[in-house]
Amino acid sequence: MGLLEGMGYTNVRHYVGGMADWLERGAPVEKSAATIEAPPVPSSARQSIIRRLSWLEILANWPLERLVGFWLGMIVVFGVIYWLAGVGMGWGLQAGNALVKPDLSGFATAIYFSFVTALSIGYGDVIPVGPLRILAVIEGIAGLLVFGCVISKLVSRRQEELTEEIHRTTFEDRLDRVRTNLHLVFSDFGSVQQLQAERGSLPGQVLRRLESTVGVFRGELQTIHDLLYKSRVEPDEEALESLLANLVVCLQSLLEIKSSIVTANGQSARLDAGLKSVSGLANEICGECVPHSYAPVLKESMDQIQELARKIA
Amino acid sequence: MKIELRETVDHGGTISREEILARLGDRALVILNVMPKETFADGHIPGSINLPVVDVEAKARQLIANFNQEIAVYCAGAT
Repeated sequence: MGLLEGMGYTNVRHYVGGMADWLERGAPVEKSAATIEAPPVPSSARQSIIRRLSWLEILANWPLERLVGFWLGMIVVFGVIYWLAGVGMGWGLQAGNALVKPDLSGFATAIYFSFVTALSIGYGDVIPVGPLRILAVIEGIAGLLVFGCVISKLVSRRQEELTEEIHRTTFEDRLDRVRTNLHLVFSDFGSVQQLQAERGSLPGQVLRRLESTVGVFRGELQTIHDLLYKSRVEPDEEALESLLANLVVCLQSLLEIKSSIVTANGQSARLDAGLKSVSGLANEICGECVPHSYAPVLKESMDQIQELARKIA
Repeated sequence: MKIELRETVDHGGTISREEILARLGDRALVILNVMPKETFADGHIPGSINLPVVDVEAKARQLIANFNQEIAVYCAGAT
């Protein structure tokens, strides 16, 4: 498939007949869900994956509300520790020249100090004494990290909305453009067919034009292919239906042209190459393989497209 | 033998049922089924591995590390 080759695989071949052809000739079939999974990741690599998914990463994956809650909770917990730590041991928080007492106003001071530390403001009106200084440094670091996560969440949320919007609009644009171009291709094919019917053979100029039309058609086919396989947005079924119907009509008329031209004009290498790649691309539009499951009508037209593609090849 | 080789080159990108049948036990050829998991479970070419089209970009490298690996891709085919 084109997808694999696009990734860099050089030795890919397509079994065009697929399951249908396979079953038709009574070839052996295996029935099991047991797929061969990817070879197990070596344990050292696995460990490093786990290590990389450290608490910071887990934190970054939390939703915004939870992160903010965690941040506030952390500040309160640290505040309580500051408040109760070192009671009667000669260390704790110190405001002015006196140690903060473990009473209600002391609690308020401890919470205040915790916020000032977590936000890395550090006024210095309340200071930690003794081992609490270590705790204050730890809180400062943790506060910065968590707050950083909160900020990045806010930014990325907006960004995600924007990219989603961009995806949607470009998708609709592409769909519209493909539809218009297919109409042009179809009318071009039509006029070529008419000329063919009138004159019996095609003058070289018209043949050139046909070649370039086939080229345009190929491009549109590629776009449809990408829309079906690589798109992040699920195509609107109605739009897709008309698109595929147009594609079927175009392929049909291309098939008619092909059979009449080969008899009247002999071979044209460029036309042959164009037809070959059109047929290859159309052949990959497969109702069973596309990532979304579509309505039966769409599958039918995809099957029809594949059938036509085989005839053109 | 030589004729067979030329034939595969001439086809340019396709593989025949006969060749797959002849090479069913051949470990040099990876037979890749790109249909959804459920369809794969209903029946597939013996020895083929399943990689639904949706997952190709994300998982192909894990499944097939070698870019020069000989691969035969198939799906439902004509009905």
